[in-house]
Parts: sequence; structure tokens; C-alpha cells
Amino acid sequence: MSKIVMRFTGVGGQGVLLAGEIFAAAKIKDGGYGIKTATYTSQVRGGPTVVDIQLDNKEIFYPYAIDGEIDFMLSVADVSYQQFKNGVREGATIVVEPNLVHPTEEDRKKWNIVEIPIITIAKEEVGNVITQSVVALAIANTYTKALDEQLLIDTMLSKVPAKVHEVNKKAYELGKKYALESMM
Amino acid sequence: MSNKREVISSGNELAARAAVDAGCKFFAGYPLTPSSEIMHVVSDLLPKIGGAAIQMEDEIAGVAAAIGASMSGVRSFTATSGPGISLKAENLGLAQMVENPLVVINVMRGGPSTGLPTRVSQGDVAQAKNPSHGDYKSITVCAGNLEECYTETVRAFNLADRFMQPVFVLLDETIGHMHAKAEIPALEEVQAGIKLRKTFDGAPEEYQPYGVGEDEPAVLNPMFKGYRYHMTGLHHGPTGFPTEEIETCRKLIDRLFKKVEAHQDEIESNEEYMVDDADILIIGYGSASLAIREAVNTLRAEGVKVGMFRPITLWPSPEARMHELGQKFDKVLSVELNQGQYLEEIQRSMGRLDIEKLTKTNGRPFSPADIIEKVKEVF
Repeated sequence: MSKIVMRFTGVGGQGVLLAGEIFAAAKIKDGGYGIKTATYTSQVRGGPTVVDIQLDNKEIFYPYAIDGEIDFMLSVADVSYQQFKNGVREGATIVVEPNLVHPTEEDRKKWNIVEIPIITIAKEEVGNVITQSVVALAIANTYTKALDEQLLIDTMLSKVPAKVHEVNKKAYELGKKYALESMM
Repeated sequence: MSNKREVISSGNELAARAAVDAGCKFFAGYPLTPSSEIMHVVSDLLPKIGGAAIQMEDEIAGVAAAIGASMSGVRSFTATSGPGISLKAENLGLAQMVENPLVVINVMRGGPSTGLPTRVSQGDVAQAKNPSHGDYKSITVCAGNLEECYTETVRAFNLADRFMQPVFVLLDETIGHMHAKAEIPALEEVQAGIKLRKTFDGAPEEYQPYGVGEDEPAVLNPMFKGYRYHMTGLHHGPTGFPTEEIETCRKLIDRLFKKVEAHQDEIESNEEYMVDDADILIIGYGSASLAIREAVNTLRAEGVKVGMFRPITLWPSPEARMHELGQKFDKVLSVELNQGQYLEEIQRSMGRLDIEKLTKTNGRPFSPADIIEKVKEVF
């Protein structure tokens, strides 16, 4: 696998940081190199948050994603979508939560914009809004095929309490289902 | 290499873990972005091994409690960011004057004042040299990658006990928060390397904690062990009691300098990356060196012979080595996330002013492209 660079964006408090840690940890378990950096503002909730994830078989020195080299982005907040979209490689996929993110017509020409109601899925179908980061994880991996699915799920489960394993497994399955449907 | 531990962690978590592995039993501080995770982790780890971590009422009380624990002979530390160091400054001066070992971790963020709390900076490098008033010689190390958040914190505890003074560990927001794989030394290796402070075991009435050689640190026995002495921020004589006697005052401050200067070889640490055959030398430290390394690799692939000199111990500076490099290289570029705080030290050490500089103070990190562009522009 060559290098894969992903970016998750949202607002503070949505839990986008955790998805990044899971990706990096799973890649490392797989024998490769993974690195996560997060940028957020001093506004505790509601400030734009961006998480960059780099996965590679070679050692990674520089921890941030380089603009123009991002292969996949997922966004659940308009403020951070607008601020960070320009780092994404032209033609690459950006998955957005359509109720909260509003891409322009120009954006739709430049990137493959995919609309998946991530938060609605977590809230109404999984039944727990906090699982949105796991829904996002599943969507990102289904699109990028970055990691072996079982490895990623196992890593995710190792980072959440046992009592919520089932609900998170369900969140992963739903995220994957919606991602596959969006590709059709 | 085989006995290294592979961990997935952030720089802040690694620094906290290093403190505990290095035998530290006490932490006191006040949470401050971007250093707070250090306090979170030690609050979990220390009680499990019979230690204590206390959130005090403010930054000042945090360093004061850590100094107090150290006076009783326990390895202790505090962690904060630049604004916290400003508040702790007075007590850091006390620790220098009474020669109290202490580790102080500063995860740097944008300043001055409250600045940019969640953003990266290297703006506290000058502060680490002289946080408080008066003359003393700072020991400051700076982690340039995840591994060093661990190893430099361990080293700081040993340096603090060796030289009997506060030792700064500088991290920055990027290094403190980045999360990836790190290979750290085996616990047994760290524990085997612990060198605690010297103590006096002669007759208590003969004990002179400050009656030491001109280049030696004070010998401070832990309190409550039957050796009574005085500790004061006033100038003091061999037993620690205040004095204004002319020669004693001169000798005291001379000794605070000489105990470090005469043993710089025990403190100095640098990395040289592709320097031997280079035509262009880039100097940088901390997280800036992550971008520099990437830039060096890219430029080398294009045939540009460039190398990096990275001081790990910032204070005292590696002035002799920088002087040699200044003779060898015409083209020198200093890269730092401030307006040139270390540039002045590079100029002084090299004995020349014609050093190019790349600086940034908007809270954003350097990208490798920033450095490549600067190299192509000026050389």
C-alpha cells in the first residue's frame, strides 16, 4: 500500500479525534506507520476541528497532511468543511453530512462529493449520537480501503468500553452499508 | 534495540509516563492547554505506585508544592505552558538559588500572554533561559520527536539531581499532541540509569550543604532525616543561613554558573543529519525539525546538498560545535517558530551575523514546502 492521507473535520465535541487515533493504531498493529495530528481552536465546543491521518508502510516524519495530498475527507460541520476542504486532492472523495455541510456547485465539480447523513444514522438508526465517529470510521475505510476491516474493527473495540461493543459494531456495519450504497 | 518497548502514544502521554518510570513520585500543577494531558496521565499513574498528583489552586502553588516535595527528597515535577511558567517564575528563581532539583515541562503554545492556547509555538526558548530575575545558568532540553518526549524527560530528572537545580523540558503543541508509534527504552534500562542526588552521611554537626567545591552543586539531604539546614532565597553561606559577606556572595553566584559550565559535556546533546557532505546547514529544534528533516530529504533527492543541525539541549547551548559549523558553512539557515530567539544564540556562537532566518509566529506549523522555498530563495 502506498501512503494514504485522510482528513476528518467537524466541530469541537463531536469526537472526530477518536476516529483518527483508531486508524493510526490499527495501521501500527498491522506493522506499518500511522500518525494522527489534530488542530482545534480555544473555543471548547463549536470551534472548527481537523484531524489529519497519515498511513504508510514507510516511516512518517512530518506529522501533518500536506495540502493537495489528501486522498479522502469526511466532514460533519460546515465551518470546518469550508476552512479545510482546499487541502484535498482534486478528484478525491469528500463525504459530507448533508444536513450540516453545504458544498458549492464548484466544489461538486472539483471533488467527488458524497452525501451521507452520518449524524442522523448514528442518532436514529444506531440510537446513540456518540457513535458517529465509528460510522465515520466505517465510511472512510470503505472508501479508502486503507486497512483490513476486521483489524480496524478490533482496534476500535479495544478503545471503547465492553458494554458499548455491540452498539459500536452496529454503527460500523451501518456506516459500511451506507458507504457501499453511495458508491452505486 | 531489541529490548525497546513499542507504544502508540502522544508526546504528552510519553512525557508523563517517563516521569513515573524515572522514579518521580510527586506532581503538582494546574491544567493548562496544551500540557493538560501530562497531568491527566500522572493523576492516573502516580497513585497506583504510592505517589501523588495534586491539582493545586493555581500555577504558583503548583510549582511551590513540587519544590516542597523535592525538598523532602522525592523526585517531583510540574507541567504547564508558557503562561504558567510566567506565573511560576518567582519560585523557579527560588529553586535555582536554594539548588532544589525539579523538572518543569513546558508544552509551548502561542504567546505572549494567553496568546494562542491550542496552537504551536516555540516562543518560550528565551524564557527558559532566564524565567526569573538574577543570574543563574539554565539547563533546558527540547524534544524533537515522540521518543524524545520520553527519553529527554528521563534525562531531565537525572540532570536535575546531578546539578541540583530545575531542568526545563520543552515540548510544543505539535509534539505534545501528535499521536503515533514510538519506541522507548525498556523500563529496566531506565531504572538502571536513575542517578539520584548525592547525600551527606557524616556527622550531622559537620554537615555544610552549600560548603562545596567551586564547580559543584549543593549537597542537600532530604529533610526530616536528622540533618538540619537552612534554605533561603537570600544569599547564603555553607550552612544555608543568610549572609552578605562579600566573598561568600561572589562565590555563590560564580558557583551556580560553574557547576553547569564546567560540566557541559554531561549536558550537551545534539543531532546532526546529513551534515558531513552538505553545502547548506539548517539549524532547528523541536517540532520545526520534523519539517526540516522532510525538507532535507526532498532537497537531497533534487541534488541540493543540505543538512540539519538539531540542538536537543538548548541551554547551555552547544556553542563550541556551532562555532565549528559556522567556520565550515557559508550558508546557514535558522528555522524556528518564534521571531528568532535562538538565532541570536547561533549568531553569538558562530561569531557572525549573516545567518538567514525563517520564522513563523501565527500559531501554525512549518510545512516542508516553507523550508524548501526559503532555501531556494536565499541560497
